[in-house]
Amino acid sequence: MIELVDVRKIFNKGRPNEFTALAGVSLAIEPGRITVLKGPSGSGKTTLLSIIGCMTRPSSGRVSLAATGIPWTKEARLDITSLPERFLTFIRRQTFGFIFQQFHLIKGISVLENVMLPACPTGEAYKPLRERAVSLLDTFNLSSKASSRVEWLSGGEAQRVAIARALINNPSVIIADEPTAHLDSRLSLEFMDIMGSLRDRGKTIIMASHDPVVHDSSLADRVVEMRDGRRVGERE
Amino acid sequence: MATWLNRQRSILDFTLSSLWKRKGKNIGLLLVFTLIVFLLASVMFFTYAIKREAQIILKNAPEIVVQRVIAGRHDLIPADYAKKIREIRGVISAKERLWGYYFDPIVGANYTFMTPDPFPLGKGFIKIGKGISGARLAYEGDIMPFRGFDGKPLNLEIREVLSAESELISSDLVLLSAEDYREIFGLPQGVATDIAVSVRNPREIPTIARKITELFPDTRPIMRDEILRTYDSLFTWRGGLMIFILTVCLLSFIIFAWDKASGLSAEEKREIGILKAIGWETSDILAMKSWEGAVISLSAFLLGVTLAYVHIFFSSALLFEPVLKGWSTLYPEFRPVPFIDFSQVLTLFFLSVVPYTVATIIPSWRAATLDPDSVMRAS
Repeated sequence: MIELVDVRKIFNKGRPNEFTALAGVSLAIEPGRITVLKGPSGSGKTTLLSIIGCMTRPSSGRVSLAATGIPWTKEARLDITSLPERFLTFIRRQTFGFIFQQFHLIKGISVLENVMLPACPTGEAYKPLRERAVSLLDTFNLSSKASSRVEWLSGGEAQRVAIARALINNPSVIIADEPTAHLDSRLSLEFMDIMGSLRDRGKTIIMASHDPVVHDSSLADRVVEMRDGRRVGERE
Repeated sequence: MATWLNRQRSILDFTLSSLWKRKGKNIGLLLVFTLIVFLLASVMFFTYAIKREAQIILKNAPEIVVQRVIAGRHDLIPADYAKKIREIRGVISAKERLWGYYFDPIVGANYTFMTPDPFPLGKGFIKIGKGISGARLAYEGDIMPFRGFDGKPLNLEIREVLSAESELISSDLVLLSAEDYREIFGLPQGVATDIAVSVRNPREIPTIARKITELFPDTRPIMRDEILRTYDSLFTWRGGLMIFILTVCLLSFIIFAWDKASGLSAEEKREIGILKAIGWETSDILAMKSWEGAVISLSAFLLGVTLAYVHIFFSSALLFEPVLKGWSTLYPEFRPVPFIDFSQVLTLFFLSVVPYTVATIIPSWRAATLDPDSVMRAS
């Protein structure tokens, strides 16, 4: 379980352009479920995802998660609020898989290389890593595109490559920020189906979206509504 | 250890793919870099080889050469000076030498005439250097005419074309008997060009030189060490001139490389952000950029040094001949003995590979320390 207690995030603190993105959010995210953060632009969804995914630290408050697979602690839970960058990166790599709004694939290199990228710093042997990447591409019907460059892919294919990349380190949590923003309705529904199957395999899914296809989907187990950096509603 | 190697291998794989996708820029950079290293390494190899060659040649030169000087000019020396020099304690031998230059109007070049003592071929025969043989198309058994001081021709038969053991100096050499020499230049008996003195104990050389000056105040003894020093400084100066010019090239290149390597494009910054967001540490990004710099600069270094080695030791330093060699107009086909001075190669390595790699890392370090959540916000 991921737990946030009174998390605040203030950008440019003390300057004229100071901006409060999160104004005291407390939230417990259960494992093995799809949680959707719903809200308009500027409501703090992306900031909350960044904090949960160890990409940035909160200005105040505490964030903790289950310490499964974290080698340097014997505690059941780990407070990640004040960890140094190296440790945050390790947790980000081992625990989370990211799917970005723009997919953020690296152009000029192959689909297979893109999928393998998050595992490069782990020091895993090349052969099993490649086999796992090939198997993931096969899962998403992308085997024939393995050696293609990513800029030659359609929007739906790029989305599936991004999902495969998010899964390469076998993370327990998938974080997706506005994943359907650049997809048509058919591809958006297809994406939700994939998320549903990942949940069924035990993954925790956290998504931020203001797309009705996502937050109105029957696959979403929990929808947390946000506005002006605060939780304003919720439905199961 | 295996984990570290796998990590480096994966990062290197990605680096090579990244370099290849910007192949236009990187191949251009590699070519310019290789050219600079090639020129610098060529100069280094050549000056060192030429210095060594001169040292080998002068190794067997006499310890002291005594010249007569009149009004500050070199003049012919009376042969009986040699007899008196031989009487100085510590002197093994003192031999009169006859040598000089002969201008050949046919090829427009100066030949160096020398009279070995003894000269077993005797009167009427000569040995010539490869350069002369090539320029005059004259070979063993041919007759070569020389114009004497009085305008009369003197025909001498070539018995041997000299081997290229010390080609740099022997190329324009003519070896002939003392009689023929005196006939061509109109030199009377009893005088010589200079006197070569051999000394038993090298530590006594300065003392003997002083005694010669005392005995014959109109002479100037030149010690071998002085000649070696002069050669050394001469070649160092010539090499230094080239090094200076090439250092300017290198500095221009560093500015060029700095500009190319340090200015991260928006695309490169975006990539660094993505890598950080998907779990790469700052140290992984720096390792990738180090590999990137090292791949380009090390390839250019190895390629440049190898090409320079081939250029100097296998193609007779084709590009530098007119600049660095030749006392006469005949350029020897000079193939120095392959030799590498590792301290010079190391210097070149630190002048080329290190600055480029550093220039690649610094801007990436700045980009790599940014918060990865900037990628989440990028649209």
